Order: sequence, then structure tokens, then C-alpha cells
Amino acid sequence: MKNESAIRFLGVSKIYRRSHLGRVTETAGLTGLDLEIRRGEVFGLLGLNGSGKTTSIKLLMGLHLPTKGDVEVLGRRAGDLEALARTGYAPESAYLNKILTGRENLRLFAALSRIPAAEREARVEGILKRVGLESAMDRRLSEYSKGMLQRASLAQALIHDPELVVLDEPVTGLDPLAIKEVRALILWLKEKGKTVLFSSHDISEVERVCDRIAILSGGRLVRTMAQDEWRGKPDALESAFAAAVARTDGVGPIRMG
Amino acid sequence: METIKAVFAYTFKEHLRHKAWLSSALFGLVALAGALVVAALGQDERGRLMLDLGLAAIEAISLVSVVFLTVNLILQEVESRAIYLILTHPARRRDYLLGRFLGTLAASALGIAVMAAMHLPLTAAYGLWEPARYAAALLCIVGKTAVMGSLALLLSLALSSEAAAMAFAVFLWLLGHFSSEMRFLADRSGSAFLKTAIVAFSHAAPDFARFNFRDFWHAPAPPDGWLAWALVYAALYSAACLALSIELFEQKEF
Repeated sequence: MKNESAIRFLGVSKIYRRSHLGRVTETAGLTGLDLEIRRGEVFGLLGLNGSGKTTSIKLLMGLHLPTKGDVEVLGRRAGDLEALARTGYAPESAYLNKILTGRENLRLFAALSRIPAAEREARVEGILKRVGLESAMDRRLSEYSKGMLQRASLAQALIHDPELVVLDEPVTGLDPLAIKEVRALILWLKEKGKTVLFSSHDISEVERVCDRIAILSGGRLVRTMAQDEWRGKPDALESAFAAAVARTDGVGPIRMG
Repeated sequence: METIKAVFAYTFKEHLRHKAWLSSALFGLVALAGALVVAALGQDERGRLMLDLGLAAIEAISLVSVVFLTVNLILQEVESRAIYLILTHPARRRDYLLGRFLGTLAASALGIAVMAAMHLPLTAAYGLWEPARYAAALLCIVGKTAVMGSLALLLSLALSSEAAAMAFAVFLWLLGHFSSEMRFLADRSGSAFLKTAIVAFSHAAPDFARFNFRDFWHAPAPPDGWLAWALVYAALYSAACLALSIELFEQKEF
């Protein structure tokens, strides 16, 4: 079971084409990505802004189509409904409908996730309690704080008890307490045998929870590392990351002296 | 079916909480102003004028609101990125689109019903009480609303710009009132290309003459099956627009 792959990127490239006044510009979001993530592992996608982390995640969730290559999720083509039914996804911000209450939002996602009608209410209340929103479940999301929205977003990702959980920048912008809770959640998911893929540019977070990582730079996979390459070796991951990535945003280094 | 039901329910709720009540409030003002104006007219004119004014206002308000709502229906979800979470659950895109459209249509139909509930007692107060014909007129307005809603949805997906979709929707709405004139123009045209283009355009634009209940209001009885054909036309035209919308939506990346 452990060696079966949960996600496979097979020579995947993604080119964004934009047309403005008849002029077409092409930008490579991802180039020739080959990557395999095994079932039951916590895998981190590490990279700077614009490195291809979110593009990779959108490809595996079926929001983007690859220009070249194939993406497989739980043995099926990415975006396949059966694969989506076994996958939970929380994007970098809580893109939930703010006019609905927490309970109404979760009811919607429970129905979309094919949870039988008779079980939905109990499942909705259970997951909202689990993420600590039981006292706010009947308030509209427009009244929620950023931390509460993030919890509601995690709740929608977990409501159908997925085998694979994909978290895009789950700790970005959170306070230290919330970061600690997200870390505990990831480790709890791992204990339950789930596969977790998350993207981040927070190296310390990645090295605490991941079994393996992949470093992306400029849309290319530049290095993969396993836990034993950084565990017990201070700064090993940070040094490897700094050596592997190149800035693609046109910003130069800060010069001192 | 579960997806359609779930998306329908949240879309309907969303419209009710957002702005659907505004159209009914606007109608209330129009009806009140109309009643004040009509009260100053002669006894025999009052009922007919109150009826025409009210139905015209119901139609205009529901068409403007349905175009506005459907043009923004998907584009707003893309802009707020709420669509990411919907489409990363096991929901077929076509079911999502149908749920959104039907939820909007239901909210518009509810708005029409609320406006009618305000209008009908006023016409009755002015001595005009023809509930069967009134119901037929309302069905025509609902049919037109479905046609314009589905067309605006298609345009929003094809053009990906709210302003352009609204402008085209208004243009086609205007053309839809001149279908027979366009065909007449095509008959008179000397150029085969122009003739084909005009005929094609007149068929692509909705034919609103089919919903013209005013033509029959004062006649003893409308032709047999007229209303049924109007509703069949609305269903077929809307279905064609929705099929094209689904085709476009299936190709989209977010």
C-alpha cells in the first residue's frame, strides 16, 4: 500500500496563452514535470512565488488541463469525478460563499461530495465541531475572521473523509497558534493513513512535517529530498533550497555593505 | 441530480439574500406611482391602463434583473474563486451550470409572482379581473425571462466580460422584437449573402413576437395552442443556449 502512488506527474508541461489585441503571449507555468507522490506520505512542494506550485495543484485538481503530459490522481486521470470524490482541497485563501452560513456552506459541499442525505447533517456538525466552529456554524461567513474562514475551508476539504488531502499554502498569513494547529492537523491526517500534499515557501514548516519534498523553480523540478537528508542537520533544507532555486521575479538580492 | 439540487438551493438562497427583493420593491414604487396617475384618468380607462402599466413594469424589471443576474452568475464565482471549491468536488460542470441557471430562474419567477401579487389587487380595484388571461401573461413573461437569462448566460461564457455580455444581450433583446421585420428585410434584399445572413441572424436572435400577450388580451380568445407553443419555444430556445453554454463551460480552465 505504502509504495502505491497517490499522484503521478508524467512529463507535464503547462503553457499559459494570453491574447491581447491579436498578440499572443505564452508563459510556461510548468515544464516537463515528472514526480510521484506515494500513498500515506506527507509531501511538500517548496518553491518561490511563480515557481509552479499552484499550477501543479490546479492541474491535479482538474482546474487546469496540461498542455503536455498526464497527471494521475489515485490511479485516475486528474479531474476525474471518482478521483475528486476521494480528494480534499483547501486553496490558499478560503474561497467560500460569504453570504451563506458555515452550516449552509458545509451542507453544499457535503451534497457535492455525494454524502447520503441522511448522514449529511451529522457530518456537517461533526466536522464544524472538529475545526472549532460549533458556536459559529449558523453565522454568515461574512462575519467570520480570517482564521475562522481558514478553518471553514479546511472543514470543506475534509467533510468527505478523503484519502488524499491537498493544501495550497495552508500556513501563509496565519498567526503562530493557527500555524501550530494546522501542523497538528497534518500530522493527525498522516496518522490516519491519509496522503497529504501541501505547498509552501515556509521551509521550517515543511521540514517539521514532511516525509519528502520537491523543490520547484521557474516551473521546473530542481530537486527532491527525503526526510533523512535534513532531519537532525540544522539548515540542511534551507541551504539545499537556496542552492536550488533561482529568482524568476526579476528581484535582485539585498546587498549589505 | 444531487448536484443540481444543491447548487439550485444555494443559488436561490444567494439571490434572495442579495438583491432579488430590490426588484419587487422597485415594482412597488412603480405600481404606487402608476396608481396615483391612473386615479386622475376617466373611469373606463383606468383598469386597462393599470393593467398595461403593471405588466410592462413586471416584464421590464424581470428582464433587466435576469440579464444582470445571469451575466454575473458564473463570472462572479470565477472572480471570487468560489468556483475552485465547487469544481474540485465531484460535481459535473454541466450540473453546476444547470443548478445555477435554474436557481436564478426560480428567484426571478418568485420576483414575478411577488410583483403580480402586488399588481393584481390594484387592477381588480380598478374593475379589471381576468385571472386566466393574467396568468397567461405572466407565463409569457416567465418564458421571455428564461430565454433572456439563458442567452445572457451563454454570452457571459462566450465573451468573458460582463460589460460586453450585457451589451450583446441588450442588442439581441432589441433584435428579438423585430424578427418579422428582419425576415421581411431579407425577402427584399437583392444579395443572396445578405439575405442568408439576415435570415440566420433573425433565427439566432430570440423571437419575442411569440410572447406578445398584448395582441390577444382584448381579443375574444387567443388562437388554439398559442400559449403552449410560446412555452415550448421558450423551453427549446433556453435548452439550446444552455447546451452551448455547457459546451463552453466544459472547456474552461480556472
